[in-house]
Amino acid sequence: MSTAVRPAPQEKSASLARLVLVGAPNVGKSALFGRLTGIYAVVSNYPGTSVEIMRGRFASGGRDVDVIDTPGMYALLSISEEERVARRAAVNDEPQTIVHVVEAAHLERSLPMTLQLLSLGRPVVVACNLLDEARRERRAPDLAMLSERLGVPVVGTVATTGEGVEALLAAALAAEVPVDGWSLPEPFSPLVTQLVQAAGTEGRGGFRLAAELALSGDEASEREVRAASPCWSEVAAARDQRWTSAEGFAVAVATARRRMALALLDGVLPGGGDVADGGARMLDRLALSPWTGIPIVALVLYFGFYKFVGGFGAQTAVDWLDHVVFTRWVAPIAGAATALIPWSAARDLVNGPYGLINLGLRYAFAIVLPIVTAFFLVFALLEDSGYLPRLALLLDRALKKVGLSGRAVIPLVLGFGCNTMATLVTRTLETRRERVIATLLLALAIPCSAQLGVVLGILSAWPGAVVVWGLVLVLVFLTVGRLAALFLPGAPPSFYLELPRLRAPRLGNVLRKTGARVRWYFAEILPLFLLASVLLWAGDLTGVLQWATAALVPLVRLIGLPAQAAPAFLYGFFRRDFGAAGLYDLAHRGLLTPAALTTAAVTITLFVPCIAQFLVMRKERGLKVAVGVLVAATTIAFTVGGLVGWLLRSVGGWA
Amino acid sequence: MKCTMCGAVPTGCEGCPIGSSIFVSQSLAALVPGQRATVRRLAAGSPADLRKLLALGLLPGVELEVQRRWPAVVLKLDCATVALDAALAGAVIVALAA
Repeated sequence: MSTAVRPAPQEKSASLARLVLVGAPNVGKSALFGRLTGIYAVVSNYPGTSVEIMRGRFASGGRDVDVIDTPGMYALLSISEEERVARRAAVNDEPQTIVHVVEAAHLERSLPMTLQLLSLGRPVVVACNLLDEARRERRAPDLAMLSERLGVPVVGTVATTGEGVEALLAAALAAEVPVDGWSLPEPFSPLVTQLVQAAGTEGRGGFRLAAELALSGDEASEREVRAASPCWSEVAAARDQRWTSAEGFAVAVATARRRMALALLDGVLPGGGDVADGGARMLDRLALSPWTGIPIVALVLYFGFYKFVGGFGAQTAVDWLDHVVFTRWVAPIAGAATALIPWSAARDLVNGPYGLINLGLRYAFAIVLPIVTAFFLVFALLEDSGYLPRLALLLDRALKKVGLSGRAVIPLVLGFGCNTMATLVTRTLETRRERVIATLLLALAIPCSAQLGVVLGILSAWPGAVVVWGLVLVLVFLTVGRLAALFLPGAPPSFYLELPRLRAPRLGNVLRKTGARVRWYFAEILPLFLLASVLLWAGDLTGVLQWATAALVPLVRLIGLPAQAAPAFLYGFFRRDFGAAGLYDLAHRGLLTPAALTTAAVTITLFVPCIAQFLVMRKERGLKVAVGVLVAATTIAFTVGGLVGWLLRSVGGWA
Repeated sequence: MKCTMCGAVPTGCEGCPIGSSIFVSQSLAALVPGQRATVRRLAAGSPADLRKLLALGLLPGVELEVQRRWPAVVLKLDCATVALDAALAGAVIVALAA
């Protein structure tokens, strides 16, 4: 996912150039954006990494250049909300140059869209990206020939190394409106022209395209064209007479454009078959077959998450930061420094048990930081290798049972890092039904990396407890997902995905991406952690905290936990990871039996989403869904937690 | 074998409203790995499904090779690899390559 950085100011000047990067998913738009602007946009090897439009500005030869990066779209006839967002950024009446980013080895797949973009009457430049891979597969196109035939500049680029980026920028800044608009051939163009003339918008390329999309069944375009062209009904009737429906028209238009594209490419692409990498193909087969694919998932989970995140991140690194850095170095210095403060209340605010240092900074830096960093590192490796789309395919059938499709794998796996980030990414799911189900399951049954790390760290002394905890979560995930799929109205999801090549992750990108995510995460949580410790300090001072804790005690006792566990639940309201970190403290003081620990771990994992997640849920899904999820999660957490506690206490050896 | 469009046993192409020269066709979901075919027609159940097929590059006239059908259908077309579930694959009517 990408986070929007510095929205560009609205004013226009004569020396301002505007470039918009458009293209299919996973062709390297964000990598090019980074090369051009120097701003890092998250780059991965899976389709749908960017869900938001990013803008960046830089100066080149005395001109200010605005660059806009858009989410990928397969065609201008959009399927999802992100594609509509991308289309609005590309197809509007702003003066801008369109940079169509295409994969050099897959020109026949993208050239039809180039032709469609050319019909807009805007300057267009084609960036043939991933040229290095095309060369390796001996599929590098003849760029000069293509450029001459199209009538617009075609520049070969390798965004990851920077090759060709300067030439691309120069071509884009000099680009002019193409002479040949590549309009549709005979049977289609009269219908479009009729609509354009009736609306009196001959000069607007955007309207010409809108007319074509409206005839192809695009609802938003149809509204626009219907309002502007009085002859819409007659033209639509003429279309139906010849092609039976909007869909028939859409297929016929797409076929015609493909034919034009193939004719253009004749001689541009080298002959010969496809030189596939045998090793990658073998790996692909192993990852996709359930017989070998499921053991591979298990290995990835065990080494990547259990050993590295849970073991190295949550234990080795946390222990060192907490016991060595904070206890030995920070605490004495902070103690000495705060001793100079004359007021005891102010002293407590800084260094008390709920103070900014002990709760705010220590929880953030010593407990959460190492775990989250470890997770994002593993996740970045998985992303950049192209493994996640394979996992999506492998799990598609299982996810269909809970009303999702394989595409939900990306937000769900990301949820193991940060639920808040993952809730933002559910936007890439196709239907509202899928988005609601994914939001609910993320809030409920997917522990974030801080929770995961802390819980695994605490439970690691009792492998049985880890197994019980894991089984309960899987059971809740499946049951709640199944019920949601049964009761939420809407069409069942479908699965379709282009599988990117398996690629060796590039260390530089993995590190930059991990760094960008950790920074995003910390900007999000640190103020909340500090605010929480101020609130807890104020609550402690005024007695509200004792009252709130006392109010939670019966609930905590009900599920069989000692009263001392109540504050951890209170913290959980602020941040999921904050609550988990509170639990970490409790376990280290030896206050919990295995049964109580398992119960607490289960309840706190299922328990309410944190404030940040709640805010994102409200923003993305609306208040009604957000409150619904909150109530459902709290109820289910305490019911399941109580049940697990009761069952475990009746088993020997756990109490 | 019968024509999937009209149900008639094909004897020739004269008078067929579809105007295609190949009548004996089947759904992509019925193909096994290794088989090559050409897309003839898209019989998507909804406009949304049709757009997904178009997005994957499945258009009449496109040649493809089936690589896998479980846990989802995986195809090679235009040098790209695409995956789709059985329900979507069922909407793609193809003619087997000779």
